[in-house]
Amino acid sequence: MFTAPASLSLALVLALAGAGCSGGTSGSGGAAKTGGFTVAVAEPDHLTPGRSTVGWDQLRVLFAPLVKVDALGAISYVQAKSVTSTDARHWTIELRSGWKFHNGEAVTAQSYADAWNATAYAPNGWSGNGQLAGIEGYAALNPAKGKPKAKTLSGVKVVGATTLEVTLTSPDSQFPLQLTPSQLGFYPLPKAAFTDPKGYDKKPIGNGPFKMTTAWKADEGTTVKAYAAYRGTRPKSSAITFKSYADLNTAYTDVQAGNVDLAYVPVSKYGQAKADFGDRLYTYDAPALEFMGLPLQDKKFQDIRLRKALSMAIDRSAVNKAIYGGLYTPATSLTPSSEVGAETDICDACAFDQAAAKKLLKEAGGWSGELTITYPGGLGLDELYKAVANQLRQNLDIGSVKAVPTADWAEFSEKAFAGKITGLNHSHWGALYPSMQATLRGIFTKAGGCQVCSHYSDGDVDKLLQQADTASDTASAAKLYNDAQKRVLQDFPVIPLFYGSYIYASTDKISGVTVGPADIELSRISVVG
Amino acid sequence: MTYLVRRLLEALLVFFGISLVIYAMTYVLPGDPIAALAGDRPLAPSVARALREQHHLDDPLLVQYGHYLAGLFHGDLGTDFSGRSVAEQMADRWPVTLKLALTAWGIEAVVGVGLGVLAALRQGTWTDRTVLAFTIGATSVPVFVLAYTAQVVLGVRLGWFPVAGNTDGWPTSYLLPALCVAAFGLASVSRLVRAEVIENLRADYVRTAVAKGLTRRRVVGVHVLRNSLIPAVTYLAIDLGYLLGGTVIIEGVFNLPGIGQLLFQAIRAHAGPTVVGVSTALILIFLAASVLVDLLNSLLDPRIRHD
Repeated sequence: MFTAPASLSLALVLALAGAGCSGGTSGSGGAAKTGGFTVAVAEPDHLTPGRSTVGWDQLRVLFAPLVKVDALGAISYVQAKSVTSTDARHWTIELRSGWKFHNGEAVTAQSYADAWNATAYAPNGWSGNGQLAGIEGYAALNPAKGKPKAKTLSGVKVVGATTLEVTLTSPDSQFPLQLTPSQLGFYPLPKAAFTDPKGYDKKPIGNGPFKMTTAWKADEGTTVKAYAAYRGTRPKSSAITFKSYADLNTAYTDVQAGNVDLAYVPVSKYGQAKADFGDRLYTYDAPALEFMGLPLQDKKFQDIRLRKALSMAIDRSAVNKAIYGGLYTPATSLTPSSEVGAETDICDACAFDQAAAKKLLKEAGGWSGELTITYPGGLGLDELYKAVANQLRQNLDIGSVKAVPTADWAEFSEKAFAGKITGLNHSHWGALYPSMQATLRGIFTKAGGCQVCSHYSDGDVDKLLQQADTASDTASAAKLYNDAQKRVLQDFPVIPLFYGSYIYASTDKISGVTVGPADIELSRISVVG
Repeated sequence: MTYLVRRLLEALLVFFGISLVIYAMTYVLPGDPIAALAGDRPLAPSVARALREQHHLDDPLLVQYGHYLAGLFHGDLGTDFSGRSVAEQMADRWPVTLKLALTAWGIEAVVGVGLGVLAALRQGTWTDRTVLAFTIGATSVPVFVLAYTAQVVLGVRLGWFPVAGNTDGWPTSYLLPALCVAAFGLASVSRLVRAEVIENLRADYVRTAVAKGLTRRRVVGVHVLRNSLIPAVTYLAIDLGYLLGGTVIIEGVFNLPGIGQLLFQAIRAHAGPTVVGVSTALILIFLAASVLVDLLNSLLDPRIRHD
């Protein structure tokens, strides 16, 4: 009677078994033979470093940075031999000689000048452009109107094959930190990048520990091989395969199945990641801050006590445990601890204290009407802001608190830039180099890229930041940056929530996964299984 | 001949109308595509301006559409915001969607019709009830729940299928996603076929055929089945058009870089040329599918004629 279904399911089982075999062998066998491992990445928009906004993982192994920072904040030189200045404005970068691009071309001061000029030239439309804004001559390449007359940065001078002189528009003690790996705009380019820009964008030739032997295949990826002539620290594996994923949740599942060795963990998986991966889960505080901005120009939000009351009504560690599986770190300052010299535990109003919050709100005259929290939809932030809204409602007895998503990031950013958000708003600022300068300047000055997140600037803060920028040594600069953030905290213009995190999950085929201030270090990973 | 020319001219008008409407729809989407391009780290204003100029984003709608059409007459389907050619992307992605769609469609047709006939012939027995329970389950579980569950259970836990990607090629990489895509259609087809077969089994011509001494096999296999397939064929043809449109969710979950994913990403990025290019191709496919339905139906039932 049920012959048909039985034979059907038998056929299915056979098909499944066949699939399982071929899938299994090609996965593990391939990795073991080459001594390499596989990394899940998002599809990059471009692979020319100054142009790319998504290609970090690939570019950081294809290129060697001038400077690197270790987890303790100490600077070490990679392609640079030294980066020196007497006045923090005129910098001399000495390159190591004898280093070559993967095509054999020597890495010279000119390779840097060419790359920086191309990145800084506005009509090229390269997204790394803003990273070079501190160099003299940047304004001439980026006029407010019309085409720029100049094509090269007047502040970048090639004075020898391996000597580059850089003049900044104003003194900046943090310039060496700006030359670290995530600032893609500061990598050098060989001549080939200009003779065949289209081809180069798919198959970049760098000066780093790995070289690309076959061009990037759109939506699939490619394999990079260890570059034998690399003069820096040798990488611990012979090859890295980058696999392109449209959805990081899928990459996560693929690591569980052992088809990919390493993937960035998406926020939606934080709650289960510890249980799924145990000690193969790696977390590190990123130089990023998750916070909420307030419309400071609005009368309702002008009382500092109100802003502090809102902040103190949020139980960050409860949210962290409930939603993020405890993987985030509640913010206790404005600058994440991964930034060199950053102080934490200096934000009293970041601690949960319901009684004090209620008291402050009462002193500030209470709250009437609706309080909204606007955040971009589609990024997995819904649970966070629903929880925050709940806490504000319950802990402050505010009648109506609503978490309102926009359709997508594009709509959110348009609203934010046009100043159309009326209540609290989601904000995130990730620094590209591990200096407090990047965070404080980015969020709390008029020149900062995230000024719309905070709507805040202040003369005292500007002055302290400027003093820090001109400081002669790291320690005194750090002290001044910390003074500046303490000054900002007095005004309490934003509600800090968490420090951002880099969180990765791996299979047991690889070891030595280290995450540092510049994100994951793929060249330190070795294949064991 | 004049009929053909008239149809072609009509099609051309339809194309311009539809492409303008779609272009306008991406144009009015809220949010600035260039701002969205850079993520949470804003672009330098000078760069944003340069990119806006490159992509004619500050021009009014009709001028932008004009630029698009001008490119089209030179055989250029345009580029997205990171400079990738729309034609190239479609060429890369169609084969993936085609393989997924045809695999799923094949499963729907063969298994769907098979289960439907089986349930009808064994009406009222527990085979019938099992098929019924299965079809209710398949139609009521949302496709992404099914996909994630199948991925975790069959891919991760049991390791029978590759979890994602198309590195193992067809059919290995496509079986599990195709099964998930096909689940809903398969259930629908089997329900349609079951109902039709039951109805036709009671029809006069079947009684006559049986009375004339035809074997049951021939009665069911030729006469009943042929008459019962019309609604299923209509459903399957329309569904093929839908499947070829790419299944955004399945392609996303299983990381298959197909056409649905491309369209989804393009809409999110507000990339006008990509959206128009892909949607126009999809419209053509739907039109072709509906013609196919008509032809097949007239083959199955000679009384249906298209004059």
